[in-house]
Amino acid sequence: MSEANADLELYRQLARIRALELLLNRHISEHGFGGFWHPGLGQEAVQAGAVAALRTDDYLFYAHRGLGCALAKGMPPVTLLADLFGRRGGSVGGKGGGTVHFVDPDIGVLGQGGTVGSSFVLGAGAGISAQMLGTDRVVAIFFGDGAAARGTFHEAALTAAVWKLPLVWVCENNGWAISVPIAEQSPTEDIADRAAAYGVPGVVVDGQDAIAVRDATAEAVVRARAGEGPTLIEAKTLRIRGHYEGDKQAYREDLTDGLEVPRDPLKILRERVPAEEADRLDEEARAEAESALEEVLAMPEPDEEVVTEGVWV
Amino acid sequence: MTEAPQLGYARAINQALGEEMRREERVWMLGQDVGRMGGVFGVTRGLFEEFGAGRVRDTTLNETFIVGAAVGAAMTGTIPVAELQFADFMLIAGDEVFHKMAKWRYMHGARLSVPMVLRLPTGVLGGVGAEHSQSLEALGMHFPGLRVALPATPADAKGLLKTAIRDPNPVLFFEHKGMYRVKGPVPEDPDFLVPFGEAAVRRRGEHASVVATGLMVGRALEAAEELAAEGVELEVIDPRTLVPLDMETIVSSVERTGRALVAQEAVRTAGAGAEIAARIQEAAFFSLDAPVWRLGAMDTSIPQSPDLEQLVIPGVAQIAAAARELVAL
Repeated sequence: MSEANADLELYRQLARIRALELLLNRHISEHGFGGFWHPGLGQEAVQAGAVAALRTDDYLFYAHRGLGCALAKGMPPVTLLADLFGRRGGSVGGKGGGTVHFVDPDIGVLGQGGTVGSSFVLGAGAGISAQMLGTDRVVAIFFGDGAAARGTFHEAALTAAVWKLPLVWVCENNGWAISVPIAEQSPTEDIADRAAAYGVPGVVVDGQDAIAVRDATAEAVVRARAGEGPTLIEAKTLRIRGHYEGDKQAYREDLTDGLEVPRDPLKILRERVPAEEADRLDEEARAEAESALEEVLAMPEPDEEVVTEGVWV
Repeated sequence: MTEAPQLGYARAINQALGEEMRREERVWMLGQDVGRMGGVFGVTRGLFEEFGAGRVRDTTLNETFIVGAAVGAAMTGTIPVAELQFADFMLIAGDEVFHKMAKWRYMHGARLSVPMVLRLPTGVLGGVGAEHSQSLEALGMHFPGLRVALPATPADAKGLLKTAIRDPNPVLFFEHKGMYRVKGPVPEDPDFLVPFGEAAVRRRGEHASVVATGLMVGRALEAAEELAAEGVELEVIDPRTLVPLDMETIVSSVERTGRALVAQEAVRTAGAGAEIAARIQEAAFFSLDAPVWRLGAMDTSIPQSPDLEQLVIPGVAQIAAAARELVAL
């Protein structure tokens, strides 16, 4: 892919994520929602940027607001929305609702744990099997600044670094662990500083700049594939909405207005793509999201049997 | 047929691991000191030398990594056999054991599976204290998605472990560390397997059914010998796996004897024995001539002193006394 085409493709992914985020926001405000929706509005550049550096067969553990990661990795919007709305056509067969467990092993989407920060050790395991089976697959593990506090990060990072596992940790630092700001969670300004303890590169990148995220991730992926071990990328981004949709965020004084994204990653990337192309991609993304939602809302609810499906092989 | 050679319980586990790793190259191991040292109890001795550091991986002291990495590796095409040095350490990796191992497949619409074994040295050993001596198998029964094996003989240790490794579901394998040196006949056939969900009737008897697990199986058999001298014949049943649990064998025994005693090493309250006792009365209430009784450890912690710890868990004399009293009811 030429550089211009790659940038255009990246914009397309950002636009698709944004369109879904905005549509979900609208739908939930008008009709409510059965579960909890954790919006990722404003974090599109981290998700699409990092995933753009992965191959289809690389593994992905997305994070709490990871709709965009799964979409950019190749999961169809209909499947993702069906998961969110708990319909049979979702990847988990209708068990979902709210923040769910999107999965597609054929394209390396390995799911999410409900206990935040649990993917560090699982991701390390996927890295071990890639290493043992002699593939050059890489594992991307997304997490927030809140999850960075988990001991699982330390336990995984220590051994992953010693064993040179093919991992890329992508920290989506949006500045808030639910209600606690980063300054009260971290003794250092950058979470990436922690990489030094494990002797691996720690990289800080502008999380609103999709190309910067993509390029930093691409470098980490090259290292991982070459058997040189993990990299910690910290992408500084923003949390526009509440922890979940409906969270009034009374704990915040820096509230932005509604859906406005300061340092909007789409606007930043637009400087690199022709305006008419970007307009067309925005329009396509909106149409794709709307038709997906329409299709999903017409889907049947799962049968009751779903509650006992998949306990055993 | 020639008699199977005598082998220790630990050695039988070692043989199962070696055979399965030879049979299937996707099988590998990880845990603290499982490599060069051959495990703190010597169970994995020689495997590092045979299979190398890539397939027998020494980890550091990080239980969430040991179990969590095994889960991640299991869902991506390999078959890990992870070892925690003591079953008690499951609690350190609680999220990994009870959520990730047990539920990942379920939560993800059966699109992934977690074919792994977690080896858990369990029970009293003599002086290892309150946090290294527990029998926590009931926890495994409380999280649907986990298979639970509890071998009581060297042959079962080998045959159940081989079945566990070949099972596409995650398995908690509780091996009794106090029994590592116990010897018994162990078949050499590399395809010798002990199926899950099939209880073993260790002794036939007509007066009462004793359902015993792990270390209690041997103690129940000794108690049965004692009572046989008095003309009381106990039937001793070893479920071997708690998930799946072979209630059919247990219930049909109780239907014949009319009396049931359940013996476990775990704390008596809310143990596996409570579940078994409840299921017996549900299924065989009208065959019972007496209440279903349970024996288990006292509701206390295991004291560090080796002499005191035996006071806490059921002994042969207690099982014999309880059975004698139950039969007399």
